[in-house]
Amino acid sequence: MKSGLVPAALISIIYTLLIFLIAWYARHRKETGRSIVGNPYVYSLSIAVYCTTWTFYGSVGKAATTGIDFLMIYLGPSLTAFSWFFLLRRIIKISKENNITSIADFISLRYGKSPWLGALVTLIAILGIMPYIALQLKAVSTSFFLISGFNQTQSIHIPHSDTELSLPVGLLLAIILSLFSVIFGARTLVSSERHEGLIAAVAFESLVKLASMFAVGLLVTYGLFDGFTDIFTRFSAQYPDLFAQLFTLDSAGKNPDYIPTFTMFFMSMGAIMLLPRQFHVMVIENSDERHITKAMWIFPAYLFLINLFVMPIALGGILITGSAAGADFFVISVPLTTGNNTIAMLAFLGGLSAAAGMVMVESVAISTMLLNYIFMPIIVRLTPQAWFPHLLINLKRLGIFLVIFMGYFYYRVVGDSFMLVNMGMISFSAASQFLPAMLGGLYWNRGNKAGAITGILLGFLTWFYTLLLPSFSRSGWIGTELLTSGPFGIGLLKPTELLGMSGMDLWSHSLFWSMLFNISGYIVCSILFKQNEHELDQIRKFIGIFDLERRRSYRHTETKRLSKPVTITKFTNLMAKFIGEPDAHRAIFSYIGNREIDASGNVSEFELPDLKRFTEKTLAGSVGAAAAGAIVDSFLSDMGSRMESVYDIFSTVRTSLDQSREALFVRLKASEIINRTLDLQIIMDDLLNLLLKEFKLDVAIIQLSSENGTLTVRSYQGSNRRPISPKHWFVESRPYNDMVLLDRKAHIINDISQASGTVKLEQTVAEGIVSCAHIPILREGEAAIGILSVFSKSIPGLFTEEFIGLLASLAGQLAQAVTIVREIEAKDRERFQKDLAQLEHARVMRDMEIAQQIQISLLPDEAPELFGIEMGGRCISAAHVGGDYYDFFKHDDHSVDMMIADVSGHSVGAALIMAEVRTLLRALVNSSLNASTILHTLNNQLHDDLTRAELFITMFYAKYDSTTGRLSYANAGHNHPLIRRKDVASCMELDAEGLIIGVKRSVVFEERGIELFKGDVVLFYTDGLNEATNAQGEFFGTERICDHLGSVSHLPANEIIASFYKTVAEFTGSDTFQDDISIVVLKII
Amino acid sequence: MLKRLRQKLLHRLQLPESWFIFFILGIIMMNFPFLHIFNKPDTIFGIPLMFLYLFIGWPFSIFVIYLFTLTFDHSDDKHQETRQQ
Repeated sequence: MKSGLVPAALISIIYTLLIFLIAWYARHRKETGRSIVGNPYVYSLSIAVYCTTWTFYGSVGKAATTGIDFLMIYLGPSLTAFSWFFLLRRIIKISKENNITSIADFISLRYGKSPWLGALVTLIAILGIMPYIALQLKAVSTSFFLISGFNQTQSIHIPHSDTELSLPVGLLLAIILSLFSVIFGARTLVSSERHEGLIAAVAFESLVKLASMFAVGLLVTYGLFDGFTDIFTRFSAQYPDLFAQLFTLDSAGKNPDYIPTFTMFFMSMGAIMLLPRQFHVMVIENSDERHITKAMWIFPAYLFLINLFVMPIALGGILITGSAAGADFFVISVPLTTGNNTIAMLAFLGGLSAAAGMVMVESVAISTMLLNYIFMPIIVRLTPQAWFPHLLINLKRLGIFLVIFMGYFYYRVVGDSFMLVNMGMISFSAASQFLPAMLGGLYWNRGNKAGAITGILLGFLTWFYTLLLPSFSRSGWIGTELLTSGPFGIGLLKPTELLGMSGMDLWSHSLFWSMLFNISGYIVCSILFKQNEHELDQIRKFIGIFDLERRRSYRHTETKRLSKPVTITKFTNLMAKFIGEPDAHRAIFSYIGNREIDASGNVSEFELPDLKRFTEKTLAGSVGAAAAGAIVDSFLSDMGSRMESVYDIFSTVRTSLDQSREALFVRLKASEIINRTLDLQIIMDDLLNLLLKEFKLDVAIIQLSSENGTLTVRSYQGSNRRPISPKHWFVESRPYNDMVLLDRKAHIINDISQASGTVKLEQTVAEGIVSCAHIPILREGEAAIGILSVFSKSIPGLFTEEFIGLLASLAGQLAQAVTIVREIEAKDRERFQKDLAQLEHARVMRDMEIAQQIQISLLPDEAPELFGIEMGGRCISAAHVGGDYYDFFKHDDHSVDMMIADVSGHSVGAALIMAEVRTLLRALVNSSLNASTILHTLNNQLHDDLTRAELFITMFYAKYDSTTGRLSYANAGHNHPLIRRKDVASCMELDAEGLIIGVKRSVVFEERGIELFKGDVVLFYTDGLNEATNAQGEFFGTERICDHLGSVSHLPANEIIASFYKTVAEFTGSDTFQDDISIVVLKII
Repeated sequence: MLKRLRQKLLHRLQLPESWFIFFILGIIMMNFPFLHIFNKPDTIFGIPLMFLYLFIGWPFSIFVIYLFTLTFDHSDDKHQETRQQ
């Protein structure tokens, strides 16, 4: 029973529309930001694109003819899943980081972005995949004929009025699949982006595959038979020989079509990772590394489930149809012959899904490779045009058609001469050729481009000669002479028995030879040839990726620089030419992000190589790594710029730290220099000489700013040394110095000939300087205190970020030293001044002490003795020298003069005036002048001196004659002396009119007199006594003086004086007096 | 007790060496001469020996992978925890 053409075609069309709808919906969801594809289940299902019609139809076919060994094709990938956690994760990490677009891109990038290698891989992929796509087309068209009830031919002939309409199913299928792939796989140029619509369709198809396989399996196992055991038992009863053959592995190689288990196992293990479509869904379409973990067991479980019923269907098919002929399509023919048309239709859809998923992903993956490695190398040579983005995307679409139609071509040529599984094995064998280069690239850091190209090329040629050629030959397209007798009749070169190696099956033979040549070619050439610089760069990325975490903590050191700076705008324009303006702008905005941009809208010189790499990476996402590299390089050379190696200042191999040994050595040396001495000049000279010696520098200068902010050259080492003058070539760098001081950043000119024209550096250029750097000498967070300038005459591009970092760190150390030295100097200066002041003070003190001694000696040692009276006097000065003065002048045995005076102030001036007063008085007292006259004379004599010194004198002058008992006196503004009479409870004040000496010339002093009696005590004192204050601020006062005088009047004069001092000290509560206190006592006995 | 054993097992499975051992073990068990053990036309309960071996061994190997992925999730969580701290 056949279901007919129209229903079959209708259902196929409806199903295709459904797939379109799902793909469209997934894309729509992605665009609205709610992806249905980004989860581990869809990811696992998409990997199941591995199960093509080969699995769907071919497994049963193989199970029915050679037996259970078909499982090896699935056990291999299942085992490979063990390694995904390490291997696949690593590949994905690398691919994401480099915008990898395909397996060709991956291998090419690893081996120094070699376009040749990429082209080679692409070529192998296209040729290798041809049989595989042919297989799909064959399977689908055959199943279509089966389901629609036509005999197997290449096309369906429908009778039409007078002519016969021919319907080529294979061609139609190829066209539909191509269209679908173009719509969902080549919508945009960016190939490293994920194609959610495509993946959704593939995942859905995987579900359909599994469901329909299950449906058929359940139908056969439990519908037509009574479970597994029933089928096995009945089969073993009916075909005991075949049963034994199918359930054992043919290790002896009796069946010519038989492929040894190891060969299948090995090839399938490689194929799951290396087939372009597997690489595409697993790596390029991976949205999250974490999905791998789930896929690791979901995908093998999927394989297990889809294969669960293969054996029962195969055995059941043989039991039902009576033979293994046409076993490839048991999945459809068994339900059909038993009348289960719905199940058969479902099975047809399952097969269609398997084919469609595979063809779409494969064609997209390979067309990307085709664009990147076959078309791009030609396009790169042309001048970029505005229509390039359109050209590129359409080339990619063309590629899809090309890939699918090459498969169609192979299908037409080779067609029915192979079983499905065996056609697939040809592709697997081709994919295996990538294995050595791939694994070696990931884990062997000696593996190089020469090795990879040689290995892959040898492997490919061997594969082509021993496998693909025989497949053509078998179909009669080439002729069988080649197979039977070898080329030109040379038996040793027979494609199937190379070097006489007979007795091996086609696949093992081919695998053995191709792998032998491939691996040995790879290893031998890798050892023989050296890796170039590009490759070394990539090796770091590929092998070192798992040190990523560790590396992140260290700063990346740039080893390249652009000889001529290129602006961001220019890079953006370049990108726009290939990927279109909107994409280019989006990319560059994401790049700039939070990077520092200088005033002219550019990144710093150190970041330029990074920007260049970013441009390459972005382009690589569309045109592949090799083409991207070529585009950017040719762009740079058009600009007159190029990447050049930074002069490796630290010539030895870098240690694993971010610093080279040299940098550490220089730092060590520098800190030695700085700590050795406190002599700043020696530090600076030694430091500069260290720099000159260790690095390729020619001149090094240190300028420090003085306190007023002007820079002065403090140390100048190296060549071209001559006195610094305004005409010195170095002065041209002043603008740079000012900038350095202002923004506290290092300013460098890596190539003086490229420097901006705003600062004239003619003289500097004339001196032969090619590059220079000015580094601020500053401590973290402080203003710059100077500038370290270094100049090189030989190397442009000397100043890398790392080198500047080192210099800045040295400048920092120097700043520390300068600050410390300056602080020490300042402290020294301060201490010296203090010492000086102390010395001065001590000298003054000594002088003052001497003055005090002299002054004390000017006062009378003791009062003269006179019959009938007793006198005493004493002066205690508050300071070293004072202005108090008292004296006694004894004229004869019965007359004596006494005076007390107080020169204002306690200065030396007062002391000198006091001395002058004494001298003048000595001259006056011998005359018989009375007290007032003496004061008058004294006033006249002293007036000028006192006015000049701005001093005054109060003085009380008294003359006592013991014969008369009369005391005559005159007062020049002095405290009134007190008289305490015996038996009188109060005191009498001696007062006389008179102005203070030194205020006015010719003052008339009143002369008064008083008669003293026996027992009278006269107390002369200076204002220090009555104005002595206690803690409460009270004056000692006249009253207290009088009272005290009364209480001590019976004592001898000296004791009265002593008791006064004692009382005042008690009153003020201190041993020292605020003012000089002089007391003179006259006691009448 | 059981929990501790499980923890211990998962911990051992985290080692890359464990992965490698199971991988090699898988290759050995899928190839001759090991396959000779089951390469006989005998049946057990009517099911051929090789069929039984492959269709029991396979799910078992998938289960082992599943166990491995458990340890991975396990350590990942721990990483996240420590990171949050």
